[in-house]
Amino acid sequence: MTEVMSGPAPYIYVSTRMRVRKAKLIQREEYLRMLNMGLPEFTRQIEEMEYKREIDELSASFSGVDLIENAMSWNLAKEYQRVIALAPGEMKGFTRDYLHKWDIQNILTILRGKVQGISDGKIRAVLVPAGELNAPALDHLLAESSAERIIETLPQKQLAAVLSAGLAEAIGAHSFGSLENELYKYYYATLIKAARGGMKGGLPFFKYVVFEIDIKNSINLFRIRAQGKPNANTSEIWIEGGSYHTDELERLCSVANLDEVIDTLKKKIKSPVLIDALESVREKKPIYSIEGMLIAAQLNQMDNVSKRNPFSISPLLVYLERKKYEVANLRALARGKEAGLAPAVLEKYLVM
Amino acid sequence: MAIETLTIEVAQEMAFGYTAIGAGLAVGLAGVGTGLGEMGIGAAAVGATAEDREMFGLALLFTVLPETIVIFGLVIALLLLFL
Repeated sequence: MTEVMSGPAPYIYVSTRMRVRKAKLIQREEYLRMLNMGLPEFTRQIEEMEYKREIDELSASFSGVDLIENAMSWNLAKEYQRVIALAPGEMKGFTRDYLHKWDIQNILTILRGKVQGISDGKIRAVLVPAGELNAPALDHLLAESSAERIIETLPQKQLAAVLSAGLAEAIGAHSFGSLENELYKYYYATLIKAARGGMKGGLPFFKYVVFEIDIKNSINLFRIRAQGKPNANTSEIWIEGGSYHTDELERLCSVANLDEVIDTLKKKIKSPVLIDALESVREKKPIYSIEGMLIAAQLNQMDNVSKRNPFSISPLLVYLERKKYEVANLRALARGKEAGLAPAVLEKYLVM
Repeated sequence: MAIETLTIEVAQEMAFGYTAIGAGLAVGLAGVGTGLGEMGIGAAAVGATAEDREMFGLALLFTVLPETIVIFGLVIALLLLFL
């Protein structure tokens, strides 16, 4: 089949498809209705939604909430692969690069599982093959005997180099935290490099990456402040490339006055949505509430940008992120209902 | 070299020729404009219909809206040729 890639028509076509798909995602009112459902009713509701096919496929292997959780992960992975297949021209490359974070998450899950001696079946159940590494590629990695062999087998050699550099330390310290930080720094550096590579449509993508880095760094800043360790060495956790300099973020961790921190953060931000979110942080709130507000601000800002740039990568990125949080919300609802949490408690953990 | 004189007949033929060119441009340029308008609408309409079949009727209606521009062009062409 000949693919016509010239002109704006393919971008308009894909952007419209993404906007229709986004409109079909669960809305706030529906979440509020789901909060008051019992687990059996909630399960029936999920089975009647677009997750039905995956639930049918996996019903022989899982049951109960595990089935719902795995079906949603599987649906997310398949949906992301379909989006990559749909994306035209340069958008395909950017989408692949953006979804690379799922590869990082999957590889880390496999390495953590292998090091802790967890069975392949259990590790496979929590993998989400939504990135470049599809299910057979992840199975191939799972079949390897050791963490070193997994890294050697990886097709992405630059990623493998970052993993090799930090693996021994991670195994020695019984913690993959530092390695995870390095991997995400590498991931965002790759995104910035791709966005600034001179390709058409790179500018909206670059702006989005910077915005996402700002959100990640802000969330990390508030997390560290919530831990109450002002003198802790935080230099390794900041992601470079955002609006804030890493030294400034490190300094803000030890500033006692919350208003000063928010004023400093606001100085370099233009997004009114994010400024409003930061303003509401002035009232002392628990960290999960701050995180939820910042993520909601990120999604709203992405919505605004996608409306201003309807034929760019923005509508596609908004859909990918909204879909991710739909799955996360439904998973939280399923697990929360199974654990018997009250709707008011569950609501605080949803990104709506 | 023969010197051509502009007779009334020649002038009338030239005027008709220019009118025909104008009529052609009116339809042709309107057609190009319609095509450009329909390119975006058509791509969006196909995208929307691919996601939701129920949108087909509405999408088709929006896609053919720019056709009115060709009709305007055609009306202008007919006015030029027959009035």
